Amino acid sequence: MGENKGIILVGIIASMLFVAIGCAWLSLSAETLDEIAEHFGAKEFRLWSPPMADYEILGLEGNIAANIAVGVIFTLVVLGVTFAVGKYLRSSKTKA
Amino acid sequence: MATLTAMFFAAQMMNYPIIGGTTAHLLGGPILAITLGPYAGLISMTIILGIQAAFFGDGGISTFGANVWNMGVVGVFIPYLVFLFAVKAAGHRRRVLAGAFFGALIGDVLAAVSAGLELGLSTLSFPYSVSIAVTAMVIHHFFIGVGEGVVTAIIIGVLLKTRPDLLQLPRIAPSWLGESPVVAVKAGGP
Repeated sequence: MGENKGIILVGIIASMLFVAIGCAWLSLSAETLDEIAEHFGAKEFRLWSPPMADYEILGLEGNIAANIAVGVIFTLVVLGVTFAVGKYLRSSKTKA
Repeated sequence: MATLTAMFFAAQMMNYPIIGGTTAHLLGGPILAITLGPYAGLISMTIILGIQAAFFGDGGISTFGANVWNMGVVGVFIPYLVFLFAVKAAGHRRRVLAGAFFGALIGDVLAAVSAGLELGLSTLSFPYSVSIAVTAMVIHHFFIGVGEGVVTAIIIGVLLKTRPDLLQLPRIAPSWLGESPVVAVKAGGP
């Protein structure tokens, strides 16, 4: 872990930069699949209403600071979830 | 594993413009595969897609399995195999980087082919043929793949120079690939 501390720190800082850049300057999303679906007249039908659709908090749509906060918090959530999954897999491998 | 997964979750929030008024973002599958191995890479990608679908409606719940197949299985295992072939063929640094680039490019394009096939075969909800869907997806994702390839080759190049131990290459390689000469690359071989 010790020798990887630096790389983990760099990774976390890079992630925060990606979130900030993504929210502030590169947030416009027009993905190919969405564009094709729209072009062909496909309609969206939601089976599940996500709490933060399109990475925005209800009532704070278009607020860059709120978007950055959401991005930062969920980047840390992903970090934590993956760490827990990795730890679980490693412990179950050790037991086996 | 956790740091890389978080990094690519964040990186997927950055959309850059490509052709036809559409945008693209890094997928991260190739780098996850080459640094973590394909199985851990698949787990990482599944976590990213799961959180995007559950909390942000990005990708969607009903298409979660298809997304995991396209970006997690095809988008991770294909780049890994292409990269492994490049390493097996020659430990030369440039060829290894070429393997990283073409692995990412081929992986992204095949993931797009897979998504196009799924769309084209969804005859109840998608009125166009497989050939139209696959062509539309492949044209755009070729450009995405080039971008992904460049970024992958740069990152793998930096890791080869600074921390080659982080490239866990041949550990789970299929036996028919034999032992990888990555050791020669690490030691500054030809």
